[in-house]
Amino acid sequence: MSGVEQRVSTVRFVKQRSGIVLAIVAAAVMLGGCARNAPQDTFQPAGENARRINNLQLPVFIIAGVVFAIVLGMVLFIVVRYRDRGQEMPKQTHGKPALEIVLTIIPAIILIGVGIPTVSTVFSLAKTSDTQCVINVTGQQWWWEYEYPVQTCGGVNIAEPIVTSGELVLPTKVHVLLRITSNDVIHSYWIPKLNGKRDAVPGRIHPLRMEADQPGIYAGQCTEFCGLSHARMRMDAVGLYTADFATWVANQLQLAPKPTDAMALRGEDTFRTQCSRCHQVNGLMEENADGTNSDKPVISFPDLYVVAGNAPNLTNLMTRTTFAGATWDLLNDQCRKALHDASPDKFGALYLKGVTPDCFNEADLREWIRNAPAKKPMYSSEAQKAQNGGKYRGMPNLNLTDNQIDEIIAYLLERK
Amino acid sequence: MAIIERPSTVPALAGGGAPQFVTPSSSYGVFRRPVSSTGWRSWLFTVDHKKLGLMYGGAAMFFFLVGGVEALLIRTQLAAPDNTLLSASLYNQLFTMHATTMIFLFVMPVTTGFANYLVPLQIGARDVAFPRLNAFGFWCFLFGGIFLNTSWFLGGAADGGWFMYQPNANALFSPSHGVDFWSLGLQITGIASLTGALNLIVTILNMRAPGMTLMKMPIFTWMVLVVQFLLVFAIPVITVALFLLMFQRVFGAQFFNVDAGADPLLWQHLFWIFGHPEVYILILPSFGIVSEVLPVFSRKPLFGYKFVVFSGAAIGFIGWGVWAHHMFASGLGPVSVAVFSVSTMLIAIPTGVKIVNWTLTMWGGKLRFTTAMLFAIGLIVEFTIGGLSGVTHSVSPSDTQQTDTYYIVAHFHYVLFGGAVFGIFAGFYYWWPKVFGKMLSETLGKWNFWLMVIGMNLTFGPMHILGLQGQPRRMVVYPEKLTGEGFFNLHFWNTVASVGSYILATGILMFLINVLHTARKGAKAPLDPWDARSLEWLTASPPKAHNFDVIPHVHALDEYFHLKYEEVDTDAGPRLVKVKTAEELLAEQEANADEHIHMPSPSYWPMIVAIALPIIAYGIIFSKVLAVAGGAILLLGMFAWSLEPSVADDSDYDPPQGGAPSKELASV
Repeated sequence: MSGVEQRVSTVRFVKQRSGIVLAIVAAAVMLGGCARNAPQDTFQPAGENARRINNLQLPVFIIAGVVFAIVLGMVLFIVVRYRDRGQEMPKQTHGKPALEIVLTIIPAIILIGVGIPTVSTVFSLAKTSDTQCVINVTGQQWWWEYEYPVQTCGGVNIAEPIVTSGELVLPTKVHVLLRITSNDVIHSYWIPKLNGKRDAVPGRIHPLRMEADQPGIYAGQCTEFCGLSHARMRMDAVGLYTADFATWVANQLQLAPKPTDAMALRGEDTFRTQCSRCHQVNGLMEENADGTNSDKPVISFPDLYVVAGNAPNLTNLMTRTTFAGATWDLLNDQCRKALHDASPDKFGALYLKGVTPDCFNEADLREWIRNAPAKKPMYSSEAQKAQNGGKYRGMPNLNLTDNQIDEIIAYLLERK
Repeated sequence: MAIIERPSTVPALAGGGAPQFVTPSSSYGVFRRPVSSTGWRSWLFTVDHKKLGLMYGGAAMFFFLVGGVEALLIRTQLAAPDNTLLSASLYNQLFTMHATTMIFLFVMPVTTGFANYLVPLQIGARDVAFPRLNAFGFWCFLFGGIFLNTSWFLGGAADGGWFMYQPNANALFSPSHGVDFWSLGLQITGIASLTGALNLIVTILNMRAPGMTLMKMPIFTWMVLVVQFLLVFAIPVITVALFLLMFQRVFGAQFFNVDAGADPLLWQHLFWIFGHPEVYILILPSFGIVSEVLPVFSRKPLFGYKFVVFSGAAIGFIGWGVWAHHMFASGLGPVSVAVFSVSTMLIAIPTGVKIVNWTLTMWGGKLRFTTAMLFAIGLIVEFTIGGLSGVTHSVSPSDTQQTDTYYIVAHFHYVLFGGAVFGIFAGFYYWWPKVFGKMLSETLGKWNFWLMVIGMNLTFGPMHILGLQGQPRRMVVYPEKLTGEGFFNLHFWNTVASVGSYILATGILMFLINVLHTARKGAKAPLDPWDARSLEWLTASPPKAHNFDVIPHVHALDEYFHLKYEEVDTDAGPRLVKVKTAEELLAEQEANADEHIHMPSPSYWPMIVAIALPIIAYGIIFSKVLAVAGGAILLLGMFAWSLEPSVADDSDYDPPQGGAPSKELASV
């Protein structure tokens, strides 16, 4: 066969094998075709530990890509070069041990090159000795609770414990140690831009270090399958400059005042009878017969009603931007976008405004209060309560009237 | 002509007197031992390794379609964000059962089917060492699989994920009976795996044809041997775990409950000590298949046979030391994580050896791109993608970002679909003429291959992007607001993956059409259509009931090839010359056929003992009385089995007509 003929038949071959060409084009499109600004992108670190991981994984991905290109190139070459063109029966070689030993040692060397930085990164990620702030994180079906113990957190004094949920607020450029556990099944805490995952296992406390470079909202999701509403168990981390963080702390520690608005005042009544069995509002008091506050605080006891023994503290609900496992927004689309797009310097002030009436996304919260399990599947019907040993998993449908819902929303809108 | 001996005289009655015909009902009172070699009874009560291999394959393909429908439902739900097609509860059941079905009811049994059918043929034996145990294993698999799937109709399937992590899978958090069905069903199919493994180990070690040393054994048989050892050690671990799970759920035991002082991580360790070797149980048979297919269609011996054998064994060993890489996010501490990172990297070396050897097998060859060969080459490429993404997981810090995202889903589908399933399809196309005596259509085969290649890359390729850009697994919905911006956002890639899954399904449909087409109009296969190299091609297609008329004496690796070809010195150096055709070799076999061939007789008892197990399992879930009844059947069956001789008594056969000797010609 002459060279020209061979070239022609090679071209024909490539045409016949257009699937292979297609696959290569497809691979190229994929590499160039990633989503922009995906909130949980693992290649856009925004904190020290996530950056360590990224610095390690980038070269590994490149090496893997190069090795694949070599293998694919070899296979394509062989497929074209050694296809049956009526040539002689090939020599029956059984192998070349020297070649094989070399081809075994080369990957071993590559892997040593990958292994050493891996091990050193594992240990550097595990370092907790320079921690400047501690936050206790507890997972349960299907939301996260954060407790800030009494401490000086990155220079901000926290005089009394803070309990919040959904949004993990942390001062920027501070080494924050999360101490993660669970109240029921295994969950996993993951804010991709700040660090990798760490499972929340009942009976264990797992440390995970996080730092945020800049103010902003960092999306995250529970990543260990945790039952029915696993897909609706999310969380955000919120970075704030230290001064803003101090403002946030001071606000969180204030007790809820008695509402002044008449509607909200009725809402407080409804909340006391319908919600306060599970949901704590710090500062909510038992009422005297004349409608004034007694000196007896209303203490919730969710352990009697829900399997996890816990329900979100609603004292400062409207300082957060999401509810129900960070799944639905308290902000309407416009305000949400403004907050997420805010520059680092403007973010803090906007976030600390909380949910103002003109920014409030009432529709989702209303649906939730009307019938929570219809919006987010939970084991909280009466039949399921019997299966759960007499307790709910998640929030039940309280069969509230429209009036009651209006009142409760008015009351909650003042929780900031 | 070989002859299977059947009783030629009517047994005399005690006390002398004239011989009388024995009535068939005499052997078990009302029952007569099954002896038919044709008809449905010959399949139902068979102990023939070939029939059982086919039944394994057929049943596994049925479950493959079930698991495939589950997969299509999952992909349809995920085609767009915030989709409401499936409820969360149903979605959780679907992904749990999709994985369980594909692993335990498709890949494992279909590779067992290949091993069952081919190992005795490849080693020059007439059956496996324990034929009735073999039948028992098949029925355990089938009944266990059916039992598991009846949960769909009896209150809902398991919903805890195939890994069934505690405490999410205990009775409080998963109150339906689904997990009970799962733990009991897998215990039953586990019995199938364990008995099958012991049977094949004994068969391979003891029943090879004379001259076939271990290092002259066909590579597929070698990989099967490694897998059987993995099964022997891995199945007991999962069985213990399933047993504990069952006791925890059904009888209130406390093995994994924190409140009782136990630790839920114990389950994870038990599960993954089984779970990781399981990955190699799934993939090594396919490695064996392509290691047979590539040399045949390259017309060269396997490059570095010894390296391939030892790397397979090395994967089998190292596979036990990597389980905690499934738990890098579980909070094991940096020392464990570092150790398991390194051990996981180690396993890439023997795996890389295989890729290198397959590539070098083709190097310098004379490649024929049959469908079987295309699937084998496809495996090299697709498995390399899965293997390399596996190496990125061994980098544990990066794995804490990627674990439980779609990147992992992409990884193991490239390994299990691009690896295990492509190998299985290569095996179908390669051995179909051997097994059925008919050629699968190559035209439909090419459609089948290219649709599957395009479909699988469109389905699983985008999942790399989805995972790396933060989409977690096991989510019934993903919100629009997490999909990012631009045309190529995560919504786009999810839609591509869903479209790809339908293309993939079309490819598999092509295979089914091909099978039907071949059954009706398929061309009769030549005796040796591929110019093959191993012993299974020495016998007729389909093989005779007793496999070989005379047991071959083995002198070399690729014995069959060396029977056909000889190296002749010419002026231009040594040349291969064909000295015998397949037909001549078969004629030689038939001419020298053994006079006396004893094959084991069919039996009811393997099936009866096996059917007792799901009855007990239903009893454990629904009624203690039923469990006792099942136990009684089990005991009775075992008792009867142990008293039954392996070869049927003379009295079990129909009396000879007119006193003539009853001998059955064995050739097909």
